Amino acid sequence: MSVPTKKAASKPARKLPLKERYALLTRDLDWEPGYVDREQLFPHTRYEGIKIHDWDGWQDPFRLTVDAYYKYQVEKDKRLYAVLDGFAQSQGHLSLSDASYLNAIKLFIQGVTPLEYAAHRHFAYLARHLEGPAPRFAALCQSVDELRHCQTQIHTISNYNKYYGGFHSWSKMHDRVWYLSVPKSLFDDAMTAGPFEFLISISFSFEYLLTNLLFVPFMSGASFNGDMPTMSFGFSAQSDESRHMTLGLEAIKFLLEQDEGNVPIIQDWIDKWFWRAYRMSALVAGMMDYMLPKPVMSWREAFELYFEEQMLGGLFPDLEYYGIQPPRHVNDAIAEKDHLSHQVYKILHNFSFAAAFTTKTPDEAHMAWLAEQYPDSFDQVYRPVWEKHRKIEADGGRVFFQGLPQLCQVCQVPMAFTEPGNSAQISFRRSTFRDETFHTCSDGCQWIFEREPEKYVQAWLPVHQIYRGNCGGPTVPDVLAWYGIQEGDNGEYTGSPDQLAWAAWHSDGDDKAV
Amino acid sequence: MQYELRYRVLEPRRQTYQNVIDRLGDQPASRYLEATLDVEPTENFHYRPTWAQDRELYDERFSALRLTDPYSYTDPRQYYYTPYVTQRAALHDEFGKTLGYLEARDLLAKLPEAWHTVLTSVVVPLRHYESGAQLVSVSGARFAYGTSLEQCCTFAAFDRIGNAQMLSRAGIAAGGGTAEALKEAKRQWLDGEHLQPLRRLTEEIMVVEDWAEGLLAVDLVDSLVYPLLYQHLDETALLGGAGAYSLVAQHLATWYADQRKWLDALLTCWASDPERGEDNRTALTRIAATWADRARDAVASLTEAIDQALPQAASTTVLGDLADAHATAWTKITGGAA
Repeated sequence: MSVPTKKAASKPARKLPLKERYALLTRDLDWEPGYVDREQLFPHTRYEGIKIHDWDGWQDPFRLTVDAYYKYQVEKDKRLYAVLDGFAQSQGHLSLSDASYLNAIKLFIQGVTPLEYAAHRHFAYLARHLEGPAPRFAALCQSVDELRHCQTQIHTISNYNKYYGGFHSWSKMHDRVWYLSVPKSLFDDAMTAGPFEFLISISFSFEYLLTNLLFVPFMSGASFNGDMPTMSFGFSAQSDESRHMTLGLEAIKFLLEQDEGNVPIIQDWIDKWFWRAYRMSALVAGMMDYMLPKPVMSWREAFELYFEEQMLGGLFPDLEYYGIQPPRHVNDAIAEKDHLSHQVYKILHNFSFAAAFTTKTPDEAHMAWLAEQYPDSFDQVYRPVWEKHRKIEADGGRVFFQGLPQLCQVCQVPMAFTEPGNSAQISFRRSTFRDETFHTCSDGCQWIFEREPEKYVQAWLPVHQIYRGNCGGPTVPDVLAWYGIQEGDNGEYTGSPDQLAWAAWHSDGDDKAV
Repeated sequence: MQYELRYRVLEPRRQTYQNVIDRLGDQPASRYLEATLDVEPTENFHYRPTWAQDRELYDERFSALRLTDPYSYTDPRQYYYTPYVTQRAALHDEFGKTLGYLEARDLLAKLPEAWHTVLTSVVVPLRHYESGAQLVSVSGARFAYGTSLEQCCTFAAFDRIGNAQMLSRAGIAAGGGTAEALKEAKRQWLDGEHLQPLRRLTEEIMVVEDWAEGLLAVDLVDSLVYPLLYQHLDETALLGGAGAYSLVAQHLATWYADQRKWLDALLTCWASDPERGEDNRTALTRIAATWADRARDAVASLTEAIDQALPQAASTTVLGDLADAHATAWTKITGGAA
């Protein structure tokens, strides 16, 4: 054993430069294994074809030591939980714009909160399996952050769950209910891929490319509709999210810079994950345009601002330097921006008898707003549909679609999207794999299917599973019971337990209201 | 006198989420329970992992140690994210204050020579051990079955980076504010003879496939290293004019006491599971048989180095007692099978 001398003690103390100090406290903790093989230690980093020549080429996008992390996060959580407690104590839910607003939040806890959890678990996978110590540490931080988001969302929504339907069985529903297989299958897809594809799918495509279309609309909707807790959660998550976005951007640049051979692989992943995440955003589109009593902005406007302007206009010109092109099929997404939300909400409206939220036909004022937002499509195509519903409902009816829809083999949204440029023609693609026929909803989904058919044939398609008898039984009530849907969670909003309770709580002089 | 504030009371339709009601009845539930129970998905996974084709995304077969109901285990500390970061912010704040005091007076750099040697050549190099322990713990964060358990592994993984950073900052202070002591510590970790058994053991634990076995193998090392370096040596330091060492060590001892809480509860839970208990006890016995002696040997190599510098610490003797006591405790948990 060699004994280091104490000469350091006689020198005057100097401060280490911040960057060096951070490196010493993070990546310098790593060492080259000498007793086991590197490949044995990191067995998952070679099979995707990505080549990394120098893990130290990773630039730390932010420098947060553990003690500073704890300190910031505690302060943020203190403020957030103070809001939650105050809101609960003052029955703040009574000052929402309307109880029907909560349908958006039902969709959120059933569809998004479980994704936060999935991200938490799988960033832990990156924290274990990436070879570079710096990205491993960044992934560890994100894993812990995502757990925070999942748990603060559960706590934020806990108070609504006490007074309203549809929130109570979110985790079981995420595993079982048909429309939730859209987000679930997306994350399952990312998690079952290799570590680099996961990084591109979630860190880049999800957290960076589309986060303003997938996540932020819920938080903005909250702020417009008097939902203080969700809005506070959104603000509280913002600094975490900006770290995650920075990580996503660093990840893609790092991978592209490491080896020219990485570029086509990553281009393929961008093509795939843009379309995959975009298809999931269809649910958000329906929410934005139809579920918010006080809408924030239309899907179309958000798509133009956050995707066409910021990403296609801002990000992709930068990525061109690396040889990266805008996502394949992006023009199909642009072509359907006038139609997406309407087509999705029609599906939800038709099938909400089997959903853990309620739907309603838009009223006159809402339709006027939609017509203004969609001058090229609403009055022409969708107003007549809703007016038909209104007429039927005025006579005491309510149309639900009887039967089960066919689902796209990839995105798992019911096959109700139309051809780009022809809103009268349902878009329907067919592929054959191992002598079986598979259907997809678009060129984008078909392309994804045919790239990895052996993966997508494994999909747990909710409708197929109902027909196979794997979902509680042969009748609708059997399936709903298996889904965990309780009486009144589903169907039409008007006359639902939520609506009736809301009306009672807001009627003056009613004894029950006090 | 109290004033009487009238406020609006509405009858809630339910007190908590349905899964909590199913387990505990319809009564108000703690934030820990709402944020923990049944959060992990359990069924209908869409695709098989390309990195483990014979497993589901969440699969209890990632370890030999299993529970009939994963939520029969809950963290006795009731940590979800917020209480966890609150506790650790306090720990690191205290550590920062201690270090500030020591740095202002250059006390770590001025430790008595033998203590300085032990700090820089035995203790500070363990920042790399902590980093290895982080890699092992985070494997549990991904592969443990059930949120109550993986959550503990997640926090433990983050803790290990925190511990590594505490040791590193002590190293910077011991180097008079420079990176010298850390560079020397890394050389020692890579080449110092006294550290090679532990480094080898750490690397071999890092490649263990069963995440729980890895975690327990680390714990077998921890349960010797922590009491020895941060409790026993702490006492010796106080008597031997090395109060500065004690001031640093106390924080790692505080962490270890907290770590023991969830791990001891977990060991008991595994060993006493109604259906899996017997298999678990067999697995635990096998794990101890594989790793306990190696842990002891690796730490013995450290105590020999310590005894050379600080014979009055009698570290090797203390290690023997610790290892024996630990073996007895482990035997008790596994029902004598070990």
